[in-house]
Amino acid sequence: MLAAVPIGLIVTLGVFALVFAMPGDPLRELAGDKPIPAAVLAAKRAQFHLDQPFIVQYLLSMKDILTGNFGTTFAGGDIAAQLKLRIPVTLKLTLLANAFQWTLGLLFGIYAGFRRNGLVDRSLLLITLVLLAVPGLVAYFAAQFLFGVQLKWFPVSGVLEGFPRSYLLPALVIGLLGFAGLARLMRTSIVETVNADFVKTARAKGLGEQRVLWRHILPNALLPVVTFIGLDLAGMFGGAIITESIFNLPGLGQFMFQAIKLKEGGVVVLLSTLAFVSYIVINLAVDILYGILDPRVRNV
Amino acid sequence: MGVTLGLALVLGACGDGNSGSGDGGAGGGAKSAVIAIAADPLEYINPLNENGSPGIQIAQAMFAPLVATDPGTGKTVNVLADSVTPDKTSQTWTIKLKPGNTFQNGQKLTAKDYVDSWNLTAQGSTAWKNNGFFSKVEGYEALNPPTPDGATPKPTSVKALSGLKQLDDLTFSVKLKVPFSQFGLTLQYLGLAPLPEEVRKDPDAYKRKPIGNGPFKLDGTWNPGDDIKLVKWDGYKGPNAPEADALTYRFISNADTAYNEFLAGTVDFVDVPSTKIQSFKTDAPDQWVTSESSGANYLTLPAWDARYKNPKLRHAFSMAIDRKSLSNLVGLATPASGLIAPDISGYRENACKYCDFDAAKAKTLLQEAGGFSGAVNISYSTTSATGQVFAEAIGNMLRQNLGLEVKYTGKQGSEITELADTRKLDGLRFSGWGHDYPSIEDYLTPMFKSSGDANFSGYTNPALDQILAKGDAEPDQDKAIKLYQQAEDIALEDMPLIPLYAKQNAYLHSAKIEPRVSKYTGVQALYSTFQ
Repeated sequence: MLAAVPIGLIVTLGVFALVFAMPGDPLRELAGDKPIPAAVLAAKRAQFHLDQPFIVQYLLSMKDILTGNFGTTFAGGDIAAQLKLRIPVTLKLTLLANAFQWTLGLLFGIYAGFRRNGLVDRSLLLITLVLLAVPGLVAYFAAQFLFGVQLKWFPVSGVLEGFPRSYLLPALVIGLLGFAGLARLMRTSIVETVNADFVKTARAKGLGEQRVLWRHILPNALLPVVTFIGLDLAGMFGGAIITESIFNLPGLGQFMFQAIKLKEGGVVVLLSTLAFVSYIVINLAVDILYGILDPRVRNV
Repeated sequence: MGVTLGLALVLGACGDGNSGSGDGGAGGGAKSAVIAIAADPLEYINPLNENGSPGIQIAQAMFAPLVATDPGTGKTVNVLADSVTPDKTSQTWTIKLKPGNTFQNGQKLTAKDYVDSWNLTAQGSTAWKNNGFFSKVEGYEALNPPTPDGATPKPTSVKALSGLKQLDDLTFSVKLKVPFSQFGLTLQYLGLAPLPEEVRKDPDAYKRKPIGNGPFKLDGTWNPGDDIKLVKWDGYKGPNAPEADALTYRFISNADTAYNEFLAGTVDFVDVPSTKIQSFKTDAPDQWVTSESSGANYLTLPAWDARYKNPKLRHAFSMAIDRKSLSNLVGLATPASGLIAPDISGYRENACKYCDFDAAKAKTLLQEAGGFSGAVNISYSTTSATGQVFAEAIGNMLRQNLGLEVKYTGKQGSEITELADTRKLDGLRFSGWGHDYPSIEDYLTPMFKSSGDANFSGYTNPALDQILAKGDAEPDQDKAIKLYQQAEDIALEDMPLIPLYAKQNAYLHSAKIEPRVSKYTGVQALYSTFQ
């Protein structure tokens, strides 16, 4: 856990340097085609420390983040209020999308693993191949047009209709696009476990099929899957940038996109720190879950 | 794929009650409309700190201007002002307000509200975007001491423009640094709206609950990210009141998504994004309108590069460009034949002598200019989806018609502007301009005057500056326009910018509303008539 502190420093410094190195002037970008008076530019530069050297800007940003003094965006939005508004949106989207992905991935993966070469297994192979090949952008717009505009089953965009209705379509598309990898991993893992020696031993000892399945096969087959799910959950944030933009969900991804567009180092670092912390928390959870599934790793 | 459809069916069936309801639930009044704005949501509502759409669009509904352009005639009419009178030299302007107007909090609207709101905005340290408007007013420098690039602005003890004076309860005067005959027209800008006293005392406290003086007020509370819901305010007594009882402005940052929302029937008005220019007429038959826009697009030549100095070379470049095929490529655009947009009084068709496509003449002109050494570099914005396409179209024309070598540089828009501002940009770039007030002068001064704040090409010509100053000092508007046209002729002869095209705007509207379309004020959803 302590290792997180230096890693966090390196990550935030790196992200800040990347944003700093991006071409363009954020205040000009904000103004668009209209010229801004020199006096306003100077006042804004001073307000956001843009007149300071890189390392001072970074330290001031970190100080603000660590003291919980988030301030405002270049455009004048309260960052704390933005976070309060946006974190629940991204959480709802991510959790719902993962619920779809896990349910589908685990069910199909387990079934296909047990009924190897059956109809479900073969169709799964084909479907996952297709899904893995579809670019997200195409799938999101196609789903929006078909289910939102044409069939009117779901709202086209926005969060007006609340949870879960407003989140169903984007979450479903993310879940479907993501389920392929999980289902394939689950299937392979089951196939390997079913043929493992300890399962044969268990059966030979005369244990009932139910007990073999729940006590021996599933916990072992789930081990690699838990790792995958953990990494996948942490990676959701990156995917949210596109989805939230297309479905107009005011979440952290959209916020990140705006911040990168405007070269807002402080906000990008703040959001990266959030992502970093959640990554560590998820990894911790995965480790704990690992321990429950496999007692051997408990004291490692 | 059967799985996808099956599951979607089940989930979709869960909440069929309110899908596709059509009117989007705005206000609930009979005359209500939902207007989609393809932009990131606003963070605050303060017209004095807004200098572009969408903030000004909201300000149009909630705040009333001093004067406005009549959509039918293009003439300026009084709204909150009773009279706007220049002195003999057009240097001091006296503005008298109509009596009996109030803010939405009940406070009486007086001359003091204008004077104090403008002084607040004119202070550089407030960092409000409309600060630049007041640079024409006497005393601006005292509030905005020049600051070297990168330095922190010095605090000033001066809090008021010496040129602004309250004369009585309803009258104030503005003394400008130099005569300016068009100043009356600039007063229609919503970015000059007054704020009531309680807002001026603590603007931050009111950035989410603005107190306006226009035809609409906020309906309930508003937080960033929410739609902005407005209802009619009965206290507005000015002319030209919109017909709607309630309006909802919905922010959808992705323009294609906003378009899809329209097709699904949840919004009543939407801009057609550039990706749908080819298909919008079939996507929504009988539910679209187009209009000329005040936006003019140019190819900007660098005045600081000696290779581009000869006007004949500039004319050659201009005549090598086939504006018709370029406009077709842009889609919904009109080839330009002058520096001014067609909806402005003073616009002359074919003002430009060197804007007709003539490859042979272009070649001759290039020879007379002594040719061109090296490659022509065209910079384009990588943030625009079409930047590279248009750059290559222009490049191909220069290569084929003039036999020049062409190269392209893609950069972020703000980076190109910065390079141009510091006179380091190598070669051509695209630029565009739209007026802030409907005057031919608002094209010439910013872009062609030596000190113009949108003089992207770094162009200077004392003869043009002089004639602009004459126009600025001419109180007779017709005579002023004649003078400005002479300035346009000088600019066209020197050609620091090559006019390319004026883009038309396209919008979709539901069957419920008919947006106002005017040659002078464009398409306005705010002033829709209801079916």
